[in-house]
Amino acid sequence: MEFTIVRKKPARLKKQASVLKWRLLMLLCFSLSSLWLFAQSQIRGKVTAAQDQSPLAGATIHLIGSNTSALTGSDGAFTIAGKAGDSLSITMIGYLSKSLVIQGSSVGVIALQEDANDLTSVVVVGYGTQKKVNLTGAVTSVDMTKKEGQPITNASNALHGVPGLFVNLSNSQPGVDRATIRIRGIGTLNDNDPLVLVDGVEYDLNELNPNDIATVTVLKDASAAIYGSRAGNGVILVTTKTGHGQAKINYNFYHGVQNYTYMPDIIWDPIEYMKLKNQALINEGKDAVDYSDEEIAEYQAGMKTDPITYPSSNWFDIALKNGRIQKHDLSISGSNDKASYRLSLGFLDRNGIMIGPNNHEKKYSIGLNTSFKVSKRLTVGMTLDGYYRNYTQPFYTSFWSYLMRALPILTDTLEDGRYGNSWLRTPGRNNWENPRMIAYTGYGHKTVQRFVTSVFANYKLPFDLTYNIKYGIDKYDGLLEEFTPQVKTWNPKNPTSYINWNSPSTAPRSSNTDYNNLNQHFYQTLDWDKSFGDHHLSVMVGTSYDHFDTKNFDASMTGYLDATLTALDAGTERYSTGGNSTTDVLISYFGRANYDYKGKYLLEGIIRTDGSSRFADGRRWGSFPGISAGWRMDKEDFFPWKNTVNLAKLRASYGQVGNQAVPLYSYENSINLGKNYSFGGTLASGAAATAYTDPTITWETTTNYNLGLDLELFNHRLNFSADIYKKRTSNILRSVDIPDQVGGLTGPQQNIGVMDNKGLELTLGYHDHVGDFSYGVNGNISFNQNKVVDIDGQILYSYNTNLATITKEGLPIDSYYILDAIGIFQSDEEVANSPFQSVSTKAGYIKYRDVNNDGVINADDRIIIKSSSAMPKYTYGFNLDFGYKGLSLSVFFQGVGGLKIYPEGNLVFPFKNGAGANWEWATDAWTPENTGARLPIVTTSTDGDDNFKASDFWLRDGSYLRMKNIQLAYELPAKWLNRVKIAQFTIYVNAENYLTFSKYKDFDPETTLNVSSLYHYPMLKTLSGGVKITF
Amino acid sequence: MQCKNIILGALAATIMLGSCSKSLLNTSPDNKYVEGNYWESEAAVDAALTGCYAVLTYSGMYGGDATPLWEETASPNAYNYSNSMGFNAIAEGTQEASSEGIIPTRYQNCYAGIGRCNSFLAHAGEVPLDAGDYAQMRGEVYFLRALYYFNLENYYGGVPLILDPPDEATQGDLPRTDRAVVVDQILKDLDSASSLLPLKYGAAAQGRATKGAALSLKARILLYEASPLLSTNTADSKEKWKAAEDAAEAVISLASQAGYGLYDNYRALFLPENENNKEVIFDVQFIYPDLGNSFDLIGRQYNTNAPLLGLAEAYEMNNGLAITDPNSGYDSNDPYKNRDPRLYATIVYPGDTFMGELVTNTRFSITGYGMKKYTVYDKEAASSDVSDLKSGQSYTNFIVLRYADILMMYAEARNEVSGPDNQVLSALNQIRARAGMPDITGTYTQDSMRSIIHLERRIEFAGEALYYNDVRRWKTAPTELNQKIYTYNHSAIESRTFDPARDYWWPIPQVQRDLNPNLEQSFGY
Repeated sequence: MEFTIVRKKPARLKKQASVLKWRLLMLLCFSLSSLWLFAQSQIRGKVTAAQDQSPLAGATIHLIGSNTSALTGSDGAFTIAGKAGDSLSITMIGYLSKSLVIQGSSVGVIALQEDANDLTSVVVVGYGTQKKVNLTGAVTSVDMTKKEGQPITNASNALHGVPGLFVNLSNSQPGVDRATIRIRGIGTLNDNDPLVLVDGVEYDLNELNPNDIATVTVLKDASAAIYGSRAGNGVILVTTKTGHGQAKINYNFYHGVQNYTYMPDIIWDPIEYMKLKNQALINEGKDAVDYSDEEIAEYQAGMKTDPITYPSSNWFDIALKNGRIQKHDLSISGSNDKASYRLSLGFLDRNGIMIGPNNHEKKYSIGLNTSFKVSKRLTVGMTLDGYYRNYTQPFYTSFWSYLMRALPILTDTLEDGRYGNSWLRTPGRNNWENPRMIAYTGYGHKTVQRFVTSVFANYKLPFDLTYNIKYGIDKYDGLLEEFTPQVKTWNPKNPTSYINWNSPSTAPRSSNTDYNNLNQHFYQTLDWDKSFGDHHLSVMVGTSYDHFDTKNFDASMTGYLDATLTALDAGTERYSTGGNSTTDVLISYFGRANYDYKGKYLLEGIIRTDGSSRFADGRRWGSFPGISAGWRMDKEDFFPWKNTVNLAKLRASYGQVGNQAVPLYSYENSINLGKNYSFGGTLASGAAATAYTDPTITWETTTNYNLGLDLELFNHRLNFSADIYKKRTSNILRSVDIPDQVGGLTGPQQNIGVMDNKGLELTLGYHDHVGDFSYGVNGNISFNQNKVVDIDGQILYSYNTNLATITKEGLPIDSYYILDAIGIFQSDEEVANSPFQSVSTKAGYIKYRDVNNDGVINADDRIIIKSSSAMPKYTYGFNLDFGYKGLSLSVFFQGVGGLKIYPEGNLVFPFKNGAGANWEWATDAWTPENTGARLPIVTTSTDGDDNFKASDFWLRDGSYLRMKNIQLAYELPAKWLNRVKIAQFTIYVNAENYLTFSKYKDFDPETTLNVSSLYHYPMLKTLSGGVKITF
Repeated sequence: MQCKNIILGALAATIMLGSCSKSLLNTSPDNKYVEGNYWESEAAVDAALTGCYAVLTYSGMYGGDATPLWEETASPNAYNYSNSMGFNAIAEGTQEASSEGIIPTRYQNCYAGIGRCNSFLAHAGEVPLDAGDYAQMRGEVYFLRALYYFNLENYYGGVPLILDPPDEATQGDLPRTDRAVVVDQILKDLDSASSLLPLKYGAAAQGRATKGAALSLKARILLYEASPLLSTNTADSKEKWKAAEDAAEAVISLASQAGYGLYDNYRALFLPENENNKEVIFDVQFIYPDLGNSFDLIGRQYNTNAPLLGLAEAYEMNNGLAITDPNSGYDSNDPYKNRDPRLYATIVYPGDTFMGELVTNTRFSITGYGMKKYTVYDKEAASSDVSDLKSGQSYTNFIVLRYADILMMYAEARNEVSGPDNQVLSALNQIRARAGMPDITGTYTQDSMRSIIHLERRIEFAGEALYYNDVRRWKTAPTELNQKIYTYNHSAIESRTFDPARDYWWPIPQVQRDLNPNLEQSFGY
């Protein structure tokens, strides 16, 4: 893993590894070099920081024109073989490079200037930047350039393992594989997505080519207050790459193969399936079974000779294949004293793991980042980042639900290629959904053009003032085209008889949906920066205006002749049209002041006032202050361990941020149209209120408290950082259910109360080298505890989510609220002597605890499981890096713990509405002979069966530890490259998601959280290889 | 110069933002009205009234895919193997407070209807309207509110009685009102409705509630109230039966004015081309493509309202004798020969011809039978435009109240009041004659006539979501819903159970009790 904590010195380890050249590839080379080295003398020197003369460890000394390099030691000293007249170049990340000519046997002390433009030493903090050593807030920065070799399809998927972040990818479908990001727990019951800004303009993290991103900075505490009402979930600031120095051409490429990590272990043996299904029906008291003995016997005999009529179809094998991914990135960048530029082009091509043509993704990106110094005072520039992208998916997006319902007795295709069906009638299966048919026929195409572009100017005014102005546009154009065909499946036994596929009710049908959004962002700031002796003060004030317009329009047609002409105007009958548009506006005033004394005492104050159109007049405005302080203890004269400790900083912050993410117009009681009825055969337009509203709703406010400590020891080799925080969200907005007796209305959005998130984040890293061998280890763990503090004594239940959860004071939000399973009934006598459950209960059924001792098991016996259904108790990540000359190996692990999941539906529960079952139901379900089985007696989960009531029996441990990525890279020696005028050439091999440890094995644990069913694109693992070439 | 301009520009921008910000933040939705400015026009009142009707087509009421057809599967007449909307659980006696499906859905949508009706009654008067129109509209709304409350009290028992527009603060914690009080209010609403509503409408207003609809619903409610389940005190049960008889008679006496009568063809009565015929007193109107149901898909293919052997055997021979009668001429090898013609109009059976094809044993694989009533299909192959109707594509209206029911109500109530007299027989025989069955003649005791009436109701209304309520109110459920059910070839499907202490009434949905702890649970849940 390559993120860095900006409060510490740059992680040099990785750089070391990559700049180390493998000079001694072959023995011959080795000998020659040795001979050659012998003739040289050892040149000595020392590298220090110009700013404070402290020694710099890990700087690279390169003998220009050779393949000889050396690194500085902990005291900054180095020796290198060379002779007078040779040139040395000295490079170090975060510092400007230097070169000099050797004159004698020592080059003395070489002082490197800090590179003010280097992103690793400066952190973007919102309407400005700040030196990371001066940071007082909890801010984490991820250096995306370190992930260049990895097959990352969306930037959100690159943030796993960042301290304080919980990143969860539940859908890996090409085109929509976007991870959910939660910063420091769940602070609201509404939208928990953090605010993302790209170069200062609000944008979607995932609509940006990851290769164009330089850094991703996460503001976790009061530092986010500068974004006021939208910072409640934290803020992610993305900085795109800019041009630096000499013109460079960069080309990156990788190609990978993908497959799923986990799929359920299904009974694909048709005989076993039929027998177990029958047994399940008998067990639950049915007299009629689905498959008669004669049918099973016929099937068994037929399988030997006629695998088409009597198939044993393994649908995961039939419908899934290896996916492919490839990515090309080309960029040209550079800068001089007048201008800097970077132009990039990217192309991603994916073919998913589903068979058929409906699982592709193509993304074409363009990135432009320019700035021009027009005069001594005026700088102007423009940025543009965007995608033209498209992806395909089946017309019926529930392909996965049909795959998870596919049965082994379903024929794939007949001999002539027609889609197969089953000659056996299975109750509950009216639509013989053949997954191959869904994968190959019809389509859903989505095409998106989205870009963010901004123009900016800054002007240096007298009196150390700078005026900045920026106007940005985020434009989204999307078109979704779908065609739903009318397809037939055929009875393999009687191939003239077909069964129409029924679910799409009006096939063939074509529909288009057009999305047309335009967001405009405008801000201006005035900066003032001044030093008075040891005092340094900077002040920024500004205003901003954000305007969001969304529009969509959709139309469907029916009456198509067949599936060849599918355009809207090839249909003959209007089916439906619709459309919708919204506008919302945010107006803000903000300011920030920073003060430091000798870089020792740091102080920062922030204030922001926001007005939002999402609330009623009179409740629109909110103010959000933040204050933070830092103390560089190591700079104090009395600090005793100056030699060992390079940095010791204490940080404290307090601040308020808000959240306005409620549905638009939630404050207004509205009458909805479309409540129609027909009189005399004509549709009449009807209207009715369908939701209850609370006009008094206003901002959610989150108050952040953060206390942090940063330490760097042993010449920055060891770094440690700790943050302890408390986030108190008050006026939580939540849609509250109200009793149906109040007009059967959905409940209002209300400010219901107060919730706390408390947590601890620890980061520890160490890196060093022994000769040419470098190594590093970096780990972090974040704990978060959520508790509802005050919701006015109310108890809120979540019924909409399927999961039975409760939200109550003193509990984590959305705690499971379910029956307490206490075992399996071993005899009918035990059933009779136990509290009444249901008339169907018998031996082998799950036994529930009669919590209130009233002799009946019902909803009054639910117990609270003190664990949020949505957030893990802790997340962690660690990476190991090794480098030897040009070769480097890095391994990144990431995990979550203390998480309970409640998967449901087909293949979690057996034989639901005619679906199949997992093998475990055949091997480890209760029978009179196997009384110690893990599972209860096998029954179908179709009827509200006693066994499948919401209970802790089905609660699973969703914790996992995953080797997210392992990368082996080899940087070719410069000696070879110089001849072909290549500056750098690196070869990568990556394995992503190849190793996962979890108790939950039915499906990928990461994808099951918050989705609860298994009907979605599974998590993918990727094996990829690529190159990075710089000219 | 340059510098000055920029500063001026910045200042101007800042001031502009500051001064305009108030109006900049005013945005309003473009696809819905807000309550404050809604009740201002006649069109708005019309639309609000339509909104009150719209609930009829919702799931849990008379729409969704096929709620009323599935309700039949809670009765001994049919079976729902996939437990659609939880009706099979009710049939099995395993329904619970936390069950999903019909129990929470009907509860919610009845109250959605009630809330809309209450809002209408409170606000429509704010708009100047023609007095006659306003009276009629109020009549329609009173009828609908009565119908929605009936759908609550009839299944759940007492429910919170709310007559004001939705207001969480004053209504959210109300407990259950005594069922009798709810029924009183329903009857009051129906009296208001019948006094305000016209006898009939022109073609463009077909489907609106009429005076006859209000009186018919009143008759049904009084009949239920007089039945053994609800009238435990024999002393006043006679009075109640009399009230039911009078209510049914009131509709019968309206027949000539309103044009009510039995439609000639029992099968065609349920076909969309004959909608709003003289037998229909109140129906729920569906229309394609905007407001469809899935009756045809359910009947033709899904078979989730599969008729049971018990129903098929209940039909008499066309000579009027039960198949168990040795003289009936019933041939167990050719069991569907010479039966009550209503069998052929209601059920598809193995050996029958359906949609132009011979019906095999596995054509309807669940019980061997298919429910033909409320589909558009029959023996003939269907025309290609309707042969494959899918979910939401059917538009056959569902008849809530029809004249035959009034006759049967009358016969049943009168038999309880004055025994099997000629009026009882005449009402019964009108229905049998229309079906093509011989008259019932001879002498009967009140008890034997009661059995005949019970059977006649079962047969006449099979597939129309009435029999479940009939076996409840007659208290025959402990036998009829407490036995094995069978397929066409006498193989058992499952055993149903009925606990008379608990299963007559549905539970208050668990969610509702969580949200409003003042709601007491029905007994046994």
